[in-house]
Amino acid sequence: MSKLNKNSSGYIFGFALLVILVCGVLLSVVSGALAEKQYEERELERKKFILKAALGDKMDEVEKPDIAVMYDKRVKESVVNSKGEVVEGLAANTVKLKNEYKKLEKNGSLKAGESINLPVYEVMNEDGSAVDFYVVPTYGFGLWDNIWGYVALQKDLNTINGVVLDHKGETPGLGARITEDKIQKRYSAGKKIFEGDKLVSVTMQKGEGNDYSSDPHAVDGMSGATLTADGVNTMMANYMNLYLSFINAKKS
Amino acid sequence: MGIVENYLNIGIKSIFVDNMIFAYFLGMCSYLAVSKKIGTAVGLGMAVTFVLLITVPLNWLAYNFIIKEGALTWLNNLGVSTNFADFSTVNLEVLKFIIFIAVVAAFVQLTEMVVEKASPALYNALGIFLPLIAVNCSILGAALFLPGKEFAFGESVVYGLGSGIGWFLAVVALAAIREKLSYSNVPRGLRGLGITFITVGLMAFAFLSFIGFKLPFGE
Amino acid sequence: MSTETQAVEAEVKEREPLFSKKNRKLISNPLDADNPITVQVLGVCSALAVTVKLIPTLYMCISVLFVLIFSNVAISLLRNVIPGRIRIIVQLLVVASLVAVVDQVLQAFAYDVSKQLSVFVGLIITNCIIMGRLEAFALANKPGPAFLDAVGNGLGYAVILIPVAFFRELFGSGSLFGFNILGENYPGNGVMMSPVGACIVLGLLIWFQRSRNGYTEEA
Repeated sequence: MSKLNKNSSGYIFGFALLVILVCGVLLSVVSGALAEKQYEERELERKKFILKAALGDKMDEVEKPDIAVMYDKRVKESVVNSKGEVVEGLAANTVKLKNEYKKLEKNGSLKAGESINLPVYEVMNEDGSAVDFYVVPTYGFGLWDNIWGYVALQKDLNTINGVVLDHKGETPGLGARITEDKIQKRYSAGKKIFEGDKLVSVTMQKGEGNDYSSDPHAVDGMSGATLTADGVNTMMANYMNLYLSFINAKKS
Repeated sequence: MGIVENYLNIGIKSIFVDNMIFAYFLGMCSYLAVSKKIGTAVGLGMAVTFVLLITVPLNWLAYNFIIKEGALTWLNNLGVSTNFADFSTVNLEVLKFIIFIAVVAAFVQLTEMVVEKASPALYNALGIFLPLIAVNCSILGAALFLPGKEFAFGESVVYGLGSGIGWFLAVVALAAIREKLSYSNVPRGLRGLGITFITVGLMAFAFLSFIGFKLPFGE
Repeated sequence: MSTETQAVEAEVKEREPLFSKKNRKLISNPLDADNPITVQVLGVCSALAVTVKLIPTLYMCISVLFVLIFSNVAISLLRNVIPGRIRIIVQLLVVASLVAVVDQVLQAFAYDVSKQLSVFVGLIITNCIIMGRLEAFALANKPGPAFLDAVGNGLGYAVILIPVAFFRELFGSGSLFGFNILGENYPGNGVMMSPVGACIVLGLLIWFQRSRNGYTEEA
């Protein structure tokens, strides 16, 4: 504003270009340098969730570097489709659940002509001789945004051993409570997904503070977050249904 | 569900449930600054609505054709050999802040210039608010919410408009309350900003009741 | 960029004995009498949105402090060469780049927190404190005072955010820094965790601060 040359178009363009160049270089250097670390962090979280669903509280004491080691030692990854057949040549960690989820209809069934990739994580026992738990991911929609999680089934492929749930934008203090251990443990008390041969999943009930220990298909709800709970229920039912062929094949 | 119903649902949701002010507190600075008089509140509210209506779809285009991973695939069709440069793997997420804010700032500046030349009357009514808008969080906020929402283009237009109307409603309502409030006997320290915050809190309380209400046009 | 700013920091250190009364005020004023949030009413959006828990709040304060310091110093260095007409866009660009850096760093080293803060890291760009300080101070002052001014305002921001987060986490979830304080049986308080609680806590805090320092606003 003070000097005339500062307002000439050439000067303005040159200046803008220079600023953009400096900012661009700075950003690409930073993001390039950090890309690997960011990927590691995301992988670490995925591994921790899977192990936590299967092994429960003791994962809280495992140090960060040990998680990856433990995961490599005990978890066998594979990808199946909705018919329960193994999809060859596809790594479980490259399956983007968010994209797979789009292949579902509103009612949870697979869209016509689509084939869905479903990761399966088999958690082996200490010496690696037999499968202890089957961990499967789930993905759905809560009240505000996407929710997802991992469900660990015991060897009988019926009893839920544990779940880990996470969300993108549920209401803090209400729906966001699905990330709390206290809520997730409600699924660990011997809840079952089958009634005889029929898949019925596990449903979070409305209201909180009730005792559902006699019902293997119901867990206590979260007061004030019925809609998030509905989302969790739909997500569980949808995904257990998608894995049904796999489960039946493994059982027989 | 038909396309019109879908648009209506997105509109209603962005006005009432995802209200920029009461659910996310976006654009609070200018919200508090201009809500003393209804007249100015209406002016800024209209300006925000207009800018949101245009910049949200613009940023949608920027996100889906420039920023998103694989969004630049269309460059592959321009005749450059993929051996030379394969654009389908480019991911510019790191630049999203810069691009979004540049789109907003450039649009605001452009509007200011056009309005000044084309309609001095409108410029007098809206013009003074326009510079304020580039740094209004609700504009950038709406853009930053876009990647998570995965709208189609038409939906993003409705979302932009709805968010703007929601902001407009909130600012005019607060201005009306504050005009009344100026006749009340408020404790000294609470006068002005303090009581305004508490008022906004109570208004947000009312808006909380929209959470989870059944959208009228079916799911 | 980084070499430039390092040089500036060295320069500031050399001048430290020159912490004149005026320069000291640059730090102490924003903490109370001229607080960016409670007096100047800037940067309110994030003050309300990220204060549900203490840990994300701390990260937010540090991020804002970082962006504020570097952008204030950078703009102050450029103050004589920035063309007036594209001033705002240049400022936004510098701020947006710094925020993108912060976002990348958080994603790499504090993944959990970056998930919780989500879009609010990006919204530091439109945090009015930053643009306000750039416009009001950095454009007219040397890098040394600009640095002090940034530190003062960054701390002034933290001085308000941390108490708000303290009360919201304590009464909202019965914990502090994630550690349970009020016992397992404390049911939690949804209102404190929602926007409503944020506004009301901030309103009361302003009341407290003003009845202490005697500042009143003409209603």
